[in-house]
Amino acid sequence: MPELPARVDAQPDTVARDLGRLVLTIVELLRQLMERQALRRVDAGDLPEEKIEALGVGLMRLEEAMVDLREHFGLEPGDLNIDLGPLGNLLGPEAGQR
Amino acid sequence: MSLVWVYAVQEAGAGEAPDMSGVDGERPRVVGTEELAAVVGTVADDGFDEAGLAAAMEDLGRIEMLVRAHHGVVAATAQDRTVAPVRLATVFRDDDAVTAMLRQRHDDIRAALDRVRGRREWGVKVYVDGTAAPPPAPDAGAASTGDRPGTAYLLRRRADRDRGAEAREDARAVAERVAGTAAACAVDVRRFAPQDARLSGRTQEMVLNATFLVDREREDEFRDTVSRSGDGAVVEVTGPWPPFSFAAAEES
Amino acid sequence: MSGPVSISHPDDELSLVDLLDRLLAGGVVLTGEVTISLAEVDLVHVSLRALISSVSTLQQGDREDATDA
Repeated sequence: MPELPARVDAQPDTVARDLGRLVLTIVELLRQLMERQALRRVDAGDLPEEKIEALGVGLMRLEEAMVDLREHFGLEPGDLNIDLGPLGNLLGPEAGQR
Repeated sequence: MSLVWVYAVQEAGAGEAPDMSGVDGERPRVVGTEELAAVVGTVADDGFDEAGLAAAMEDLGRIEMLVRAHHGVVAATAQDRTVAPVRLATVFRDDDAVTAMLRQRHDDIRAALDRVRGRREWGVKVYVDGTAAPPPAPDAGAASTGDRPGTAYLLRRRADRDRGAEAREDARAVAERVAGTAAACAVDVRRFAPQDARLSGRTQEMVLNATFLVDREREDEFRDTVSRSGDGAVVEVTGPWPPFSFAAAEES
Repeated sequence: MSGPVSISHPDDELSLVDLLDRLLAGGVVLTGEVTISLAEVDLVHVSLRALISSVSTLQQGDREDATDA
C-alpha cells in the first residue's frame, strides 16, 4: 500500500529552489512572449535581414541562458509551469516539452 | 459535541436514508419538513468544524475518504428517487438549522430537483496523441548552420509554432465533434478543465473533459452515438453519476 | 473508425480525479445558516495542489489495485 503524504509543507531548504522556480517561470514566460512577437514581425516581413539575424541571435542566446539557469537550480523544463487551477498552466499544456 | 453533514436533498417522503456508513462512519438519516427533506449524518465537531475541514483539505488521504464516502451516500440515495446532491463539506450546527435551511431555500431546492428529475449525469473524455509540436526534421532548411544562425533559429521556432498550432486545431476539432454529438442527446452540459496527464495516468493528451445531463430514456442512444464519434481518438464515457454538476443553478 | 471505448460502472473503482471534478465544484450550495462551507476557491485550490503533488503515489496504488482485480 503506497504511503500518502500527511501534509503539504514547504521545507526550508526548498525555499531557494521555489523562489528560483518562480522567477525563472516569469522569465521563461517573457522569453516565449518575445519569441512569439519576433515571429510575428518575421511573418509580417517588415524587418531587414540583418535585423532578423540579430533578433534571432539574441533570442538564441536567451534560450541558452535559460537552459543554464534552469540547470543551475536543478529544474526540469516542466517545473517552470505554474498551475493556476481552473485557468490551466501558466505556460500552456505543451510547455516543458522542449 | 456534534455537527450535521448534509449529503443531498430530496422530496419529503421520497424514501429512507441508505443503510451504509457516511463520512464519519455514521449511519445517514433523513430530516425534513412537510415538503422537502435532507439526507444527513451526525459527525464529530472535532474534525468537521472549520479548522478540522481546512486541515482535511490539505491531506490527500482525508480528501479521498471524504469524497468517496460523500459520493457513496449520494449515489445510494439517488438509486430509487430524485435527489439534488449537496456540495461537499456542507455542515450545519444541528437538525433545526438544516430544516430551517430547507424552508428558506425551498424554491431553489425545488428548482434543482426539477432540473434533474428522471435524468442522470454522464462524463465524456476524449484523448488524442500529443499535441506538442513533434521534433523538427534533422535538416530544417538551407540556413540550418553557418552564416545565419540567428535566422535559422527563428525559422526553426516558426516551424515548431506552426506544427503545434495545426495539431492543437485538429485536437480542438475532435473535441468539439464528440461534444456536439453528446449534446444532441443531452439536456445540459458542463465543461471541466482537461485533466493533466499526471492525474489521468494516460500518456495521451485529454482534449475534452465534459459532463452531460441525460434523460434516462436516451441513455442508450447517448452511449452509442458518443462512443462512435471519436473517429480515431479515444472516447471514454463514465456513468451514471448522481447529478452533482447540474444541481446548482448555473451562474449567469 | 473509432478508437477503443471504455465504459465504467459506478460500483467499480471510481477515478478520484473524476470524483473531484464533480464533488469539488458541483452540488447545491447551501449557505446562510451554514456553520461551515468549503465553497471558497482557495481551499479547493489547496486541495488540488495537494493532489497534484502526490499524484504519482496515487497512480502507483491505482495500477496495483487494477492489476489485482
